[in-house]
Amino acid sequence: MAVTSFREFLDCLADADALTTITDDVSWDLEASAITMLANETDDRIPVFESVQSQCGETAARLVGDPYRGPQRRPWEWFARAFDLPVDPGPAYYEGMIERLHDPIEPAVIPNDEAPCKEVVRTGTAASLLEFPWPYIHQGDGGRYATLSTLVAPDPDSEWGSWSRHRAMIHDDSQASLLFLAGEQVPNRYYFEYERNDEPMPVALTIGAGPAIEATAEVWIPVGRSEVSFAGGLRESPVELVECETNDLAVPASAEIVIEGRVMPDERLDEGPFGDYFGYMNGPRRSMPVLEVDAITHRKQPYVPFCVEGSGVGYGENSTSTFAAAAGGPDATLGLRAAGFDVEMAVPWPFTSRTVWIIATEKPYPGALHELANFIFTTWGMLHIDFFVFVDSDVNPLNPRAVVEAIALHADPDTDFHQFGVERMPKVPLNIYQTPDEKGSAAVGTSKTKTAKAYIDACADGTRPAQSIGDRDAREQARNLLSQAGVPESAFEPSHTIDSSQ
Amino acid sequence: MTAFRTHLEFLRKTGDCCSLERPDSPSPQVIASEALRADGPAVRLGTADGRIDLVSGVYGGVDQLRRQTRYPWTRLGIGLGVDRDPAYVDVLEKIATLGKRVDERDVTYVERAATTTDRTVRDLGFPTPPGETWPHVTLGVLSVGTDEGTYWTPLHGTVIDSNTIRARIPETITDRFERGATVSIALGVPAEALAATQFLTITDRLSTPIEDRRVGSTVPVIPTTGGVVPSSSEVVLEAEIADKQPDTRSEKRAFWEHLLEGTTLTLEVSSVFTRDDAVVPFTPLGVPLTDDLQLVSLALAARLYDRVNSYWGVSPVEWLLLPAAGRLGICVVSTEVLYAGFEWQLSNFLFSFADCFDTVVLVDEHASPRDLGQVLGDIWVKAHPARDWLFSGSDAPVARLPTYSREGTGARLYIDATWDPRWDEAYIAPRVSLAESYPPTLRAAIRGSWAEFGFDSELDELL
Repeated sequence: MAVTSFREFLDCLADADALTTITDDVSWDLEASAITMLANETDDRIPVFESVQSQCGETAARLVGDPYRGPQRRPWEWFARAFDLPVDPGPAYYEGMIERLHDPIEPAVIPNDEAPCKEVVRTGTAASLLEFPWPYIHQGDGGRYATLSTLVAPDPDSEWGSWSRHRAMIHDDSQASLLFLAGEQVPNRYYFEYERNDEPMPVALTIGAGPAIEATAEVWIPVGRSEVSFAGGLRESPVELVECETNDLAVPASAEIVIEGRVMPDERLDEGPFGDYFGYMNGPRRSMPVLEVDAITHRKQPYVPFCVEGSGVGYGENSTSTFAAAAGGPDATLGLRAAGFDVEMAVPWPFTSRTVWIIATEKPYPGALHELANFIFTTWGMLHIDFFVFVDSDVNPLNPRAVVEAIALHADPDTDFHQFGVERMPKVPLNIYQTPDEKGSAAVGTSKTKTAKAYIDACADGTRPAQSIGDRDAREQARNLLSQAGVPESAFEPSHTIDSSQ
Repeated sequence: MTAFRTHLEFLRKTGDCCSLERPDSPSPQVIASEALRADGPAVRLGTADGRIDLVSGVYGGVDQLRRQTRYPWTRLGIGLGVDRDPAYVDVLEKIATLGKRVDERDVTYVERAATTTDRTVRDLGFPTPPGETWPHVTLGVLSVGTDEGTYWTPLHGTVIDSNTIRARIPETITDRFERGATVSIALGVPAEALAATQFLTITDRLSTPIEDRRVGSTVPVIPTTGGVVPSSSEVVLEAEIADKQPDTRSEKRAFWEHLLEGTTLTLEVSSVFTRDDAVVPFTPLGVPLTDDLQLVSLALAARLYDRVNSYWGVSPVEWLLLPAAGRLGICVVSTEVLYAGFEWQLSNFLFSFADCFDTVVLVDEHASPRDLGQVLGDIWVKAHPARDWLFSGSDAPVARLPTYSREGTGARLYIDATWDPRWDEAYIAPRVSLAESYPPTLRAAIRGSWAEFGFDSELDELL
């Protein structure tokens, strides 16, 4: 039975002994984040901070550090448990997710008095962002942030609106700046429709909406559908929604916190600098659209999950990198197959998940990889991803050893590295390879200067070096012996090939 | 000097060597290969039937594609006596030092630990890969004595009958051998002897007697009919060269055979010496992370590191790594960029002194060799996709190890993931990390409460 709320997800983590509850007073001012980053780096338990210094007495909100972060060897593990999907092997998890995404389930609206997120309702001046212990995450950040939040926004093509992840920098009790990067659907709608018409865009920023909703808020879905339907598909049951107090949007009834408001036209507030998903502090400070708060509803003693951005690069995992591996990968695989490409798996590179992806695919005709890369770069609004690496269709992109070997041995610098033009493509200003001058004022959330995109053909075009010795039975015997000697069975995953029996 | 069995004992005590009873099936090579796949410990396979013990994964064992507390150089560094937790560069410097010439010979002779036995070579029970007929002998040293001194080379042998070994050795050493000459094979030698032999082989320095190299005064030796061999060797085989068969090639090659030409000798073993409870290292061939690959990787890195820091009058390179996961098809170098354009010079210098890779990745001098994960991120986020991925023309020699099919010439690539030295300081984005994102007092307080918070992990590497 799949979990249906953030609290059930915490129970799922606790059952797997993947949670630690810290009852000591912990400060929102760097301390909770430092502990979380250390847990992320060391692959340790996920911390729940029950007692946060300066906790507002009445609200008594609690923090949870990177709750969606999966184990470094199997980032998808907690999602697999939460959605009752296979944990091993990784490709089986991907196929399970793809199957669920094939069958969206429409949400159901429930009465307000049945919705946990309405346990406390504050509107107008009674609603204050400062009731909550938003963490100050890294030294040098521009402010305190809500980093694990799903923004619900109107969508004329979808009954249930558009659901996507945007961070918010808290400015005072009623205002926050939202990271809106043009090229993504909701920011596009704000910049090029609402703001041009001088209209505020009604939104609801939900915190703690649970794994299914937060996972689908990260993925690309067909126009005309709503992410919340796909969230229903993932959990195999309708997501229960409830109507907002101050606008026409519907939000997850089980959410920990719902911040209703409007994104104001022609108003900007500072956003950043911020220690971002690249693993670096990016600058300069940007001007971003303003969320004006109209109401806040929440559960009693709500949890405020947060992500320590920048800790999901290199060996570390965090919620962002886990979303990419556990949700973005299966969704991208499905999307490419639906577009007619013969793709086995599309997987984010674990060391920097939003910049480079690995795709295991056939090359059915000359130019097939160019066509595939071109399709993705142009249709997915690729402001974050700069590179694709293509590997043989049977190579497991979840295995970084297999990918490093493919790049090192099979990619010919003369013929297998392909750039799409020279600095013709848009780029998010969060990057660190452009100078502040090149990024400019980032008026709609893209750099003033363009960048290049590239793909690498690391397919073998022939024989590949041996990966193992002996037949399947002999290898299994060997693994059994080694397991008896203390080598954990999980250490043999992920396998070099998608079919682990090869 | 650390004897091989002492080296193993260190690994056992630190939980990095496990023991199994040697099964009839699967073959030791299968077990070793699966242990490597799992980034597992060294694996000792013991018997009580008179065969020698075998151990795999002694010199490398792991990659760096997930966070580990041990590194590809840890086990070798322990064997070289560098440290229990050896720094990468210390291991490289130790290897290079063992290969340096000495002004004066200072050889130490110590009684041979192995004693004579009436067992044949086949009785010793070297491992046979599945699908093959003949047992393999790997990770040993072949020795030949001359009037000038002793020469050591790596060997890859197959035991073709009771006392006959067909041995692959580097071709450059063959002028030291004559038909009918005697040689010795030493197995289970100190790590210094094995690492130095690999280093001298890939640097084409086999023409100098071992006594004139630092390793000759570091490793105590004993004379045999084939020159001096390490006294503490677990197994010593004395043999006569029965035939030179330069046209014969083994199907599987030890990794050094990918870098230089080899030749084949047929050896008739006349004497077998073993220590009590002898244990010898072995490696499967051709699969990822094998010991022969790791040894060549470290030896080549030691050579290149030494060369690049001996060229410009200063030592700009912090470290240089040839990840075994890439089977030496890619080279990572951490360097100070002395001036604009230095990155081009350095990359092409490396292409000049090594022909095995076609790609060089440059990272800042602050990067740690222990954190390859950061490198594997920085390649993509610090290097501008249009400006910092730099390709040569297609008229360069084709690199030796990549497997793409090309004849004649090809291109080379370097990826500059360093900060541009022309950038203003304000343009340099600080890293997000524990050290840079949180004050020391806070980190210290967290360290003090870590276990109390309910966490299990060790923090030595991170705080």
